[in-house]
Amino acid sequence: MEALETLRTALPDAARDIRLNIQSVLKDGALSEPQRWGVAVASAIAARNPRLREAVLAAAASAVDAAVVEDARAAAALMAMNNVYYRFRHMVGKPGYAEMRAGLRMNRLARPGTNRADFELFSLAVSAINGCEMCIRAHEKAVTDAGLTPEHVNDAVRIAATLYAAAVSLEMD
Amino acid sequence: MLTVGDRLPEFDLQAVVSLDKGHEFASITHRSYPGKWLVLFAWPMDFTFVCPTEIAEFGKKSADFADRDAQVLGMSTDTHFVHLAWRRDHPDLKSLPFPMLADTKRQLSSALGIIHKTEGVPLRVTYIVDPEGVIRFVSANDLSVGRNVDEVLRVLDALQTDELCPCNWQKGEPTLQVA
Repeated sequence: MEALETLRTALPDAARDIRLNIQSVLKDGALSEPQRWGVAVASAIAARNPRLREAVLAAAASAVDAAVVEDARAAAALMAMNNVYYRFRHMVGKPGYAEMRAGLRMNRLARPGTNRADFELFSLAVSAINGCEMCIRAHEKAVTDAGLTPEHVNDAVRIAATLYAAAVSLEMD
Repeated sequence: MLTVGDRLPEFDLQAVVSLDKGHEFASITHRSYPGKWLVLFAWPMDFTFVCPTEIAEFGKKSADFADRDAQVLGMSTDTHFVHLAWRRDHPDLKSLPFPMLADTKRQLSSALGIIHKTEGVPLRVTYIVDPEGVIRFVSANDLSVGRNVDEVLRVLDALQTDELCPCNWQKGEPTLQVA
């Protein structure tokens, strides 16, 4: 947590709201500890700022099992690919592309180290950051089909939004 | 000959796994690699010319198979002592990273049905077996024809690659349209 505190103080005054939101979105709420930190790690990786990523990884390592962090890393990697590929399919607007083979390996999706619902939640957070409408809908459905509630989803996206803003704010000066 | 959809027969065979003194042999069974895909390939006999080329090629691509959660197993009906002598003798086989199975009693080769009808030695077959023990690919070459390891990797990729992401979910798209 110390690394995150240092990072919070590094945020400029213009981002004071973000500074405060980091504190609030990462505690309590509907999410379990592994869900919260898994979402945070996947979002921090997707936000592409090394300082943020390292601080969140350090905080997560002291809070949850390595398997959670590994699932979050896998979700960030796979969704970086799938959000681009499927976003293309959705945006291009020609049904023919949907009939073509993706031919991309994504086998890790079938083997989450923790559980399917949490992995889907991490994937949803990354999809929200990467901005793919259909991916967001599909993963929201997968998350709620797996038994989580809209409150879980909302809390996960609050984390994704805040950490993305933190990454931007760290680079504004 | 067993084919796609059949189960890999159970086996328990001596194998050469190393050239280090005292660690040369191990017994390998159908259960030795839980959760892994198996790439089982056979050759007619040790100390012949086509064989070391393709066996060495499987060895060179060993990391590619490992990346795909697959264990390579080589096999002939020679004994494990003959395998060891061959590995010691042939520079391309010294650092072979996968076990050479000795199907000395021909139990596995017979169960698979891969013994050449007149020569009595295994055909150059390649099996890909999924983690559930089901055969998903088989090829058989006549005794003199070597294999293309890249083709085996291509097939393994195709068997393993599936669009598993919910991103691929589409709201009831009834019409098929050619791109």
